[in-house]
Amino acid sequence: MFKALQRPITMMGMGRRGGGGGGGGTPPSGGRTFSYITSPTSLSTSMNGSETMANGSSISTWYFSNGGGFNGDRTVPSPVIEANEGTTVQVTLNVSMMSIPHTIHFHGLDVDQLNDGVGATSFEVNGGQSYTYTFLAPHAGTYHYHCHVDTVLHYEMGMYGAVIIRPPNGSTTEVWSGGPAFDKEYLWQLHTFDSSWHTGGGGGMGGGGGNTSGTNTTRHRPDYFMINGRDGNNLNSDSTVAISAAAGQKVLVRGVHSGYQPAMVKMGGLVFDVIASDGRPLPAAISATEWLMAPGERYDILLTMPASGQRIATVDYYDIRRGSVLGTASTTITVV
Amino acid sequence: MQRREFLKSSLMGSTTFAVSGLTAMTPTIAQAATVDVNMTAEGTFKTLINGASVFVWQFKQSGGSGPGTLTSGLVVNEGDTINVTVTNNLDRAINFVVPGITGTTPSVSPGNSRTYSFTASSAGSYFYTDTVNGEIGKAMGLAGPLVINASGNRLYSGGPAFDRQYTLALNELDDRLNSAIYNGQSYSMANYEPNYFFVNGMSYPDTSNDADTVIAMNTGEDVAIRFINTGCITNPQHFHGYHVNIASRNRTPETAMGEKDTVLVNLDECVDVILPVAQSGVYPLHTHYVPGVTANGTYANGSLIIMSAA
Repeated sequence: MFKALQRPITMMGMGRRGGGGGGGGTPPSGGRTFSYITSPTSLSTSMNGSETMANGSSISTWYFSNGGGFNGDRTVPSPVIEANEGTTVQVTLNVSMMSIPHTIHFHGLDVDQLNDGVGATSFEVNGGQSYTYTFLAPHAGTYHYHCHVDTVLHYEMGMYGAVIIRPPNGSTTEVWSGGPAFDKEYLWQLHTFDSSWHTGGGGGMGGGGGNTSGTNTTRHRPDYFMINGRDGNNLNSDSTVAISAAAGQKVLVRGVHSGYQPAMVKMGGLVFDVIASDGRPLPAAISATEWLMAPGERYDILLTMPASGQRIATVDYYDIRRGSVLGTASTTITVV
Repeated sequence: MQRREFLKSSLMGSTTFAVSGLTAMTPTIAQAATVDVNMTAEGTFKTLINGASVFVWQFKQSGGSGPGTLTSGLVVNEGDTINVTVTNNLDRAINFVVPGITGTTPSVSPGNSRTYSFTASSAGSYFYTDTVNGEIGKAMGLAGPLVINASGNRLYSGGPAFDRQYTLALNELDDRLNSAIYNGQSYSMANYEPNYFFVNGMSYPDTSNDADTVIAMNTGEDVAIRFINTGCITNPQHFHGYHVNIASRNRTPETAMGEKDTVLVNLDECVDVILPVAQSGVYPLHTHYVPGVTANGTYANGSLIIMSAA
């Protein structure tokens, strides 16, 4: 059906490093509320992570790392990668020695077959080996990346992150060249955990202990409902999630659905504008007080801060039939 | 049946599942035809990708099912009169409904036949199903795609043009429901948690070996893809390699969205998209509800197909 491609093999350590500093990347700048790494950059893999949830439970995680995960202070999600529209993006994946294989699929970035990260149409990167994913940065907007090996499990275990493509001039004040301006910028990455998929012994085992998908990963039944890897009350104190800005300021919220359940986003009753999706501007902004995001979609939301007060934003995660709410992640929107 | 035979029979007004692939000769609808179809509603055993066998229901056309699909697809031309004679060989009453065309229809009881007639007035993507048994009809497989072709290679008169078109019927099953039905036990759809997933009735990798389900195309073309949800879950279809334009949802032109790489196909929804083939290569198209890319939990099976652009 398709020809198997020769997998380029490089020894670990020869991949390019750099871009955006060391552990955790470049600290938040511009209107950002999160740290980030810039191309050319590299990611290593880990299957020995853990996160402490709001109820005190420790959940094992698998993740991509650049000296740290998202915002440098957690394993899940993985780091934010940034590049300017029209430039060549290079991300070197270094798979840890002795690890099972991994890849990076750059979701929505329309990369070519060789760099698509799908083993069946290209190759997987084995333990101890590296590959530099290379592609042209498309239209400015919000995109996604995740492992595409045994995807149902690796993705759920935490091997996902976001890609932000800036306008060609690297502006951090407009969403795309000539597009809407903003003062402050949040990235909300939606995800849920089914904790039964994260158990099976020590050392970050997954898939119920087998490290592979199978009967232990039949029927995803989430019990943790997150934004940026945080849940419950932790969402109110997380500076990458809780929205805080001055009256009248324009706040950009880049929503990335990195999870498995349809999610309804509400901004505490405030009207917001949906301005782009999947890295492309909408023909016209849509005003709404609630917005449904399906797994894999991205929506960029522009919120104008009201005059005063505090409100509760919510992300309701539904079952796959859109029948009932399985769980909610909520956080605050505060005028400062 | 060879692919060419499918194409030839569809041009003659037959109704085998043959929408896809080749730049078919432009249907010139000089005169509306009458299309007579015989279907039997029956129980049968479906072999799943992992070798398990499950009891399902299907609308089976006389002359055989479409390739790999549980339920044969219907392909007709705008203006045709369609007469579907359903013989009910199941253990309970059913009907034959085309949402968007027929409204509610009378039922046919076990052992009997009824002819359901309607006019294919308006080009677009539809599906047919049983509604007497609520959603259990769809969950058990009693549904199939219906495509009404417009004149010329357009989705509808004056609508988006395409160089070739494909139909992807999406469904799934929860084998606990199938087992309950087979054993005469009750089952509530509130408990529906599917564990097997299909495109045109097949699981990956079988989807990559079926000529109507592999999206073969050429760089520079515009390819129409008709997603038809014949199942009971929402279905966010993600394209590797490309962005697409949503042409319509349930035959209503889409105007609110720009280009998308992930297209949500809601319950009971038909979504037509146009894919501008901007690069060559081989890429998957799959649900991003990634548990849907499994068979009883094992990746990679289920709702994933291959696109191949020369």
